[in-house]
Amino acid sequence: MVMTYTLKQIPQTAEAFWEIASTAHVIAFHGKMGSGKTTFIHALCDARNVKDVVGSPTFSIINEYLFSENNKQKKIFHIDLYRLKDEQEALQAGVEDCLYSDHICLVEWPERIPSLLPNDTLHVFIEPVDTKTRKLRIGDN
Amino acid sequence: MTSILAIESSCDETSAAICRHGKILSNVIANQKVHEQYGGVVPELASRAHIQNIVPVVDAALSTAKCQLSTIDAFAFTQSPGLIGSLLVGSQFAKSLALALGKPLIAVHHMQAHVLANLIDDPRPNFPFLCLTVSGGHTQIVSCESPTKMKVIGETIDDAAGEAFDKSAKLLGLPYPGGPLIDSYAQRGNPKRFQFPEPQIPGLNFSFSGLKTSILYFLQNAGKSHVYKEENIATVEEQKTFIEENFADLCASIQQRIITILLNKLKKAAIETGIKDVCIAGGVSANSALRKAFEELGKKNHWNTFIPAFEYCTDNAAMIAMTAYYKYLEKDFADLSVTVSARAKH
Repeated sequence: MVMTYTLKQIPQTAEAFWEIASTAHVIAFHGKMGSGKTTFIHALCDARNVKDVVGSPTFSIINEYLFSENNKQKKIFHIDLYRLKDEQEALQAGVEDCLYSDHICLVEWPERIPSLLPNDTLHVFIEPVDTKTRKLRIGDN
Repeated sequence: MTSILAIESSCDETSAAICRHGKILSNVIANQKVHEQYGGVVPELASRAHIQNIVPVVDAALSTAKCQLSTIDAFAFTQSPGLIGSLLVGSQFAKSLALALGKPLIAVHHMQAHVLANLIDDPRPNFPFLCLTVSGGHTQIVSCESPTKMKVIGETIDDAAGEAFDKSAKLLGLPYPGGPLIDSYAQRGNPKRFQFPEPQIPGLNFSFSGLKTSILYFLQNAGKSHVYKEENIATVEEQKTFIEENFADLCASIQQRIITILLNKLKKAAIETGIKDVCIAGGVSANSALRKAFEELGKKNHWNTFIPAFEYCTDNAAMIAMTAYYKYLEKDFADLSVTVSARAKH
């Protein structure tokens, strides 16, 4: 499954992504620095009507956003492992608690914690096509 | 004389401070010195390290201030935003002390405290004032009417300014956190040598992720262009040579762009609000070029400019104590059921 989009097409792409990923609980975003992981996650949160400010959690490691769906309040954890050295540090930061909660987890730099990710993690790979266009692939590796 | 003990544990640092009647008597941040007597080391990043740090840090804050726990009138802690496990350590500790000693508990917002760090030492800004708070995790412009009444009028929609520094440094091959290294290399460089784009974000909000991407492509293309095209990408060897030969100029030019993004918005905020007392706060305000550019901009626009002492710019409990003092005056106390929050709600 591959989606190609420009910055302008991000909102529709995010909507389409959620249709495919409707049952996913942990979604891991692979891609180099500057490939647009945070930007795409921002759009995914907008598509779920998150009203909190969606920023980069590189410093805070875990950001927490609320949204409501069918009159129920739900939560998204936005996790960024960039600053962490290994799985031990991720455990100490409380990442595992989020990954095995009932909430949606959007994870950047998942390569840091291969064995902490749940088995049913949805892996997504983002790479640039040109300055304004990105290719997103959903798959195993 | 009101004495307040405050604890800050929102991210990497464990800190405790004592404030008596609005004056900071001690501000201890967990570091090697505190640990020397306990024989441990400080892990670079470990929220559970707060548990090991908190008792010695609070003890040190009390003894530096020559203060007994029994004379403390209120206990304060950082409630949000931050890493939830880290916040919990400070909040539980403060709650336990408040409960055991039968004293009020005060919950403090970390970002409000960064702004009020400007009230710790003289000279202090007059109300209303504007504050640009810049750190590894935050970039905000706050308009401040009184110590307890402030409004976020601009903030980043993606990366924080400190993150822009650290990630640019990483692209240049510097270790994390590279922001302070960029500052020192930039002093020997030409800030006008390379031009990086300024994001066109409406209003007073900031964006730094586009700049990061533009720097990435520029380095990948060995300085030939800012756009991504596979055929433009230079060989790894060419990229390395380009960075090596132009290192100081790259640092200076990147730093210059980050600073102009910050200060252009701050200037816009000052014009829109008509406010003349303008401050900066947060860890990135330690950047020497930002301080210089900020003061020059202030002079040109007839602002009164303020920057807290360095120890009050990075995460510290003194600013939490200061904020708690103003909340104490308004009797704005929390009860023991108060919970911490990772969310950066205002």
